[in-house]
Amino acid sequence: MRLFELGERSAQVHDVLVTLAELAERDDARAVLLESADDPALLKPYLNRLDLVVLRFPVFRDGRGFTQARELREYLRFSGEIRAEGHILPDQAAFLRRCGVDSVVLPKDGNGDPALWEKQLRQFPVAYQRSVLPERSVGPGLRVEEAS
Amino acid sequence: MKRPVRLEPGQKLVLTANRLLDGRTVWWGADGTWDSHIGRAAILDADEAEVALLRATEQAQRDGVVGVYDTAVQDVVPPEPVTVREKIRAHGPTVHPEFAVETEQ
Amino acid sequence: MSIPVGHYQYDRIDRDFLQARIAEFEGQVNRRLDGTLSEDEFKPLRLMNGLYLQLHAYMLRVAIPYGILDSRQLRKLGEIARRYDRDYGHFTTRQNIQFNWIRLEDTPAILRELAEVDMHAIQTSGNCIRNVTADEYAGAAADELVDPRVHAEILRQWSTLHPEFTFLPRKFKIAISGSPNDRVAARFHDIGILARPGEAGAPVFRIFVGGGLGRTPVIGEELFDSVREEHLLATLEAILRVYNAHGRRDNIYKARIKILVQAIGVEAYREAVEAELAQMDLERYRLTPEAVAAIRARFAVPLLEAPADADAVLAQQRRDDPLFDRWVRSNTHVHRDPGHIIATISLKPGGGIPGDATSAQIARLADLADAYSFGEIRITHLQNVVLGHVRKDRLRDLWLGLAEVGLAEANIGLIGDIVACPGLDYCALANARSIPIAQKLGARFADTALQAEIGALRINISGCINACGHHHAGHIGLLGVDKRGEEFFQLTVGGRAENGAAIGTILGAALPEDETVDAIARLVDCYLGRRESGETFLDTLTRLGHEPFREAAYETV
Repeated sequence: MRLFELGERSAQVHDVLVTLAELAERDDARAVLLESADDPALLKPYLNRLDLVVLRFPVFRDGRGFTQARELREYLRFSGEIRAEGHILPDQAAFLRRCGVDSVVLPKDGNGDPALWEKQLRQFPVAYQRSVLPERSVGPGLRVEEAS
Repeated sequence: MKRPVRLEPGQKLVLTANRLLDGRTVWWGADGTWDSHIGRAAILDADEAEVALLRATEQAQRDGVVGVYDTAVQDVVPPEPVTVREKIRAHGPTVHPEFAVETEQ
Repeated sequence: MSIPVGHYQYDRIDRDFLQARIAEFEGQVNRRLDGTLSEDEFKPLRLMNGLYLQLHAYMLRVAIPYGILDSRQLRKLGEIARRYDRDYGHFTTRQNIQFNWIRLEDTPAILRELAEVDMHAIQTSGNCIRNVTADEYAGAAADELVDPRVHAEILRQWSTLHPEFTFLPRKFKIAISGSPNDRVAARFHDIGILARPGEAGAPVFRIFVGGGLGRTPVIGEELFDSVREEHLLATLEAILRVYNAHGRRDNIYKARIKILVQAIGVEAYREAVEAELAQMDLERYRLTPEAVAAIRARFAVPLLEAPADADAVLAQQRRDDPLFDRWVRSNTHVHRDPGHIIATISLKPGGGIPGDATSAQIARLADLADAYSFGEIRITHLQNVVLGHVRKDRLRDLWLGLAEVGLAEANIGLIGDIVACPGLDYCALANARSIPIAQKLGARFADTALQAEIGALRINISGCINACGHHHAGHIGLLGVDKRGEEFFQLTVGGRAENGAAIGTILGAALPEDETVDAIARLVDCYLGRRESGETFLDTLTRLGHEPFREAAYETV
């Protein structure tokens, strides 16, 4: 498993990764795997002990993970690591990051080339909408860039 | 996975796809190359088509084609597709006779 | 150069963004060619940039945000048609233009040419928020309450590469209007927005959700009556978030938001949206008056000056020339300024291909826009072209100029003003050809005097159930179906997209292609024979019910 960090937070490896259903019985679990149909709000009682939430993308076209990440950051104020795994493309790197994802498990095929992910993170100088990241305006109107 | 091919009497199969670079409709020839004229397509019976389809699908990336499938034709010279859709793919849009595939260089 | 009338003026930041998008797409093409990206992976990525693979070639759909472009942009479209396509383009029912004979390898170069005039193909397809449509008379019509273009531009920007909503369950279409007369089919959109003046100068928005055509036609339901401007983006984010999380992804025919709204009911949908809004940091999503003002400042306002006798000159010219008078009657609309008029240019010549324009016609339209309408052009969702601000005393000169390139057809809103999708002549999804039947109908009713006699009657033709020709919304609708490899057409009557939106009723079994035109002629004869004074086709249909029309359509001679 090769990890790629989308932002400043270092990706941590966890020995125990449980499903949402297993979370209640495993007091030692610090990492949970959400399927794309899972409701992140169900993590509420466990957020204090969770270090990592892994969002699994069954296919890159299934965009529910973006909303899950955003709900975790924006509604649940989750401050631990969010990771995406499964069928994801480097073309989604900036979207993932802007929705609050910190790291990805690099795909095993040609889409796992870290250079592609690196490049995609820097593809666009501005965005036209607010994300969960700290941002500042660029010029008049809606445009923002990341505040470093 | 493969649908059963039901051919009427007098019908055979050809393989078709679109070229990756320019999207043009192409037909699979007996020498394994793809050509924009259906007249150069290999005429196949159901068993031959199954083998050819597998091979052509495997080689699609190398051959620079997209979306390989088989379609029924009347076994005449040149072969004529059975459905309106494939006739239009073979000959060009009916509303622009000047774009007929046959008259392209 | 000066700020264009009618649409947002880009600056360096916007242009850098476009260049970055082109570079990204070029990289995606290269990864497809070297095999790093499979076709299954590449397809959604190219669709998000407007590139389809159709029957004969790639098709590129270029965005015309809210249907407005300037003459420089239109000229560029004509050049692209000439250089990279086959000398014509097709204007679509979403106010865009598409080119039918594009090569994948040329696409990055085409996108660079488009970017020279601040145009692109971003989100003209794919399961994302599509190009936003707006009233084709925006900023010009006398009946308008709020000019919707500034907010249409805000929506365009907000939806562009949205990080959360670019991989939705299905495509997502938004339309916005600021007139009490709905010219955008607001209730046939995933989200339809009607703007009206609110307090302190800022507009408020009535929001419909879950409308659409396609396989399951649904009339959108009101979600909110009065959304304040500052909460517009927050509200849209909340609507989209509920859809992205809960829209079906197991069946593409049930993946549109309308299916979700139908499944849970509009009240439950509203509660879900309100629950999102309650958790959202509204300050973060607030559309500030400063941001709106900054975007508004990028639109030039036309200086409308007309001589005092402009109206009298036009009136005299109409009396002198009955042909011109007929064109004025069908092809113009009242402007907010008494010295000006809105002219609609028909792209529906009798027997022609609805929505197609040659590069020569496109170039001429650009010249006429410069000469008569501040260089501004609008594309309508009925596949026609509008010059929004024509001085009344110069209208006849415009009409003469149009006639020189075969664009003076007097049939807007009449039976010859047929809406048709590309159909099986081009489209990989179609079941039947739409264009030939449109051409036959157009030829059958080519006589403009006959068209004027028949009056308001809209025919919409779709070549498959995806309904790109909006057949459900046609006063007479035709849906092409495939029966054992043969083309048949199912007829509907009574649909309408305007105020009082309705879905057409199927008259009966589908007819073979070669019987369809005669059947429609009998429908029209039935109306002409039984209408009472002043009745339109829809009026007579409403009064008599469907039965006489069904009988007429299926009457065997």
